[in-house]
Amino acid sequence: MLIQTEDLWKVYEVGAEKINAVQGISLEVEKGEYMAIMGPSGSGKSTLMNLIGCLDTPTKGKYYLNGRLVSELSEDELAFIRNKEIGFVFQTFNLLPRASALHNVELPLIYNGTEPAERKRRAQAALKLVDLEDRMTHKPNELSGGQRQRVALARALANNPSLVLADEPTGNLDTATGAEIMALLGRLHEEGNTLLIVTHELDVARYANRIIHIRDGKIEKEERLKK
Amino acid sequence: MQFLESILIALSSLKANKLRSILTLIGVIIGVMTVIAVVSIIAGMNRYVSDKISTMGSTTFVIDRIGIVMSDEEWWEAMKRKRLTLEDMEAIRENCPACEVVGARVYTRRKVKRENQSLSDVLVMGGTANLPQISSINVDAGRHIWEFEELHRRQVAFVGWEIADKLFPNVDPIGKEVKVGDRRFKIVGVAEKRGSFLGQNQDNFVIIPITTFLKVFGTRRNLDILVKSADLESMREAQDQARTILRLRRKVPQNKPDDFAIMTADTFMQLYRNFTSTAYLVMIGVSSIALVVGGIVIMNIMLVSVTQRTKEVGIRKAVGAKKRHIMWQFLVEAVTVALVGGIIGILMGTAIAKIVSATTPLPSAVELWSVVMGLLISSSVGIFFGIFPAMKAARLNPIEALRYE
Repeated sequence: MLIQTEDLWKVYEVGAEKINAVQGISLEVEKGEYMAIMGPSGSGKSTLMNLIGCLDTPTKGKYYLNGRLVSELSEDELAFIRNKEIGFVFQTFNLLPRASALHNVELPLIYNGTEPAERKRRAQAALKLVDLEDRMTHKPNELSGGQRQRVALARALANNPSLVLADEPTGNLDTATGAEIMALLGRLHEEGNTLLIVTHELDVARYANRIIHIRDGKIEKEERLKK
Repeated sequence: MQFLESILIALSSLKANKLRSILTLIGVIIGVMTVIAVVSIIAGMNRYVSDKISTMGSTTFVIDRIGIVMSDEEWWEAMKRKRLTLEDMEAIRENCPACEVVGARVYTRRKVKRENQSLSDVLVMGGTANLPQISSINVDAGRHIWEFEELHRRQVAFVGWEIADKLFPNVDPIGKEVKVGDRRFKIVGVAEKRGSFLGQNQDNFVIIPITTFLKVFGTRRNLDILVKSADLESMREAQDQARTILRLRRKVPQNKPDDFAIMTADTFMQLYRNFTSTAYLVMIGVSSIALVVGGIVIMNIMLVSVTQRTKEVGIRKAVGAKKRHIMWQFLVEAVTVALVGGIIGILMGTAIAKIVSATTPLPSAVELWSVVMGLLISSSVGIFFGIFPAMKAARLNPIEALRYE
């Protein structure tokens, strides 16, 4: 089991008011799965993604990632887990604007102390995986939206993570480019990567094998799709 | 890589906005520049002064009626003292076993002429024949004054290099005559060129036998007595003996201080050090104010930089940067900025020192330690004032940082 959450809660205090963003979510994800978390805005799906992505810790409940209890780790330990286990893909790409595509992909490898030569080799391999070997020295503003998202994907894959976490990966792309990215994600899944997509679009969620619908911080329903 | 990257980011942002960079760096530049300029000038003077004073020799002391006075009262008190005389010198010569060589000198300023050419305001010194044994004046041509010339009050002169150069441009001055005041003196020797010291010409002098001097210019003159002890160990003994002899001769009561002053090379060094330590204090004041202001400006710029790059911090944290990674990045950046200021400050301080020594008599020497100190100071400013912004960046919450636009 790659992901296992038990009664996960996230409560924000805004002034005197308490907002229950995630209310007792228990879910399990197997290695190699392709899963989508779906829900309207304000449903708590982003909060859930932050918890699963180890960017945040739950107020209550347990979260096991790859067999390790991560819900009680310190900030720096979480950083280590994110580096080792998780590759992020964001709606707004989130690339370093002044750095080349290659350097952006190298970033996670910098923080785990990979040797420069090895780092470069692996970053190049990751860029090749997303068909960008001819754009390695380009900066983000010299790339199209689709190419930027592919750089972000390469960065997510560079460190061979256990889980690729994509938050609205097509949100800033036109339909055709969005479809290209989804096709690429599908290919990556076939190659054995575990994917988790957070989206509010059913068209996007349908690429996954399993969809979890979230509403008001709770799992509303779960559906498995036959391919 | 992280290091290099942070350094490059710092340099490129400095380059991108030149006016802002100058304003950012000006405090550090002024601070370091002050340190380098002052240290270089003082170091140059140190070398020079200690060179000059060491020619006086560490086994030599001077007995003077007045000594070094620091106030008007001391001056008026000293002016009432009895003059030192040739007899005082003789007494020390005879009764001080630790004193190896005892000499005396007396000064005045006179016009020196040869035919229709003249030099005014020349230092005319009456000296005992043994003076060259005490303070070094090297012979370029001819010889020093002989003892029998002193004994017989001969009108002979040993002249400085400039006197020979100006009054005898094309002829050998040895054996020729010059007029000092209205007396004629035969030149027996010319001194080696000594250059200038703190703007004072050192080659513009005439030395004549002290006995001749007193006969020609009057006996009611105060002398300096110069004493050389055999070695360093007997230096203190020689001073004590000379002091006792003089106190006895001058009938100084036991409970009164000396009515004369004994000065050694150390005395002059001490005086000089008092002066330089004041200069150092002023420098520390000016440069620390500039550095604090410079540091605050750097801190401000770094806080702006952290805010502008909140998103970048979020991205870095998302892919696994720990607090210390972020902290280092911004700290290296702050230190780089400060070091650039420091390097500019070093260059400008060096330039100022060079300009000062080229346009004024003050010498200068850029000391390696002051350059190292300039670099250390500026990087410390970077660390000290960069640590708060760096910590602020390191503490950013990754989710909020990623959301920041």
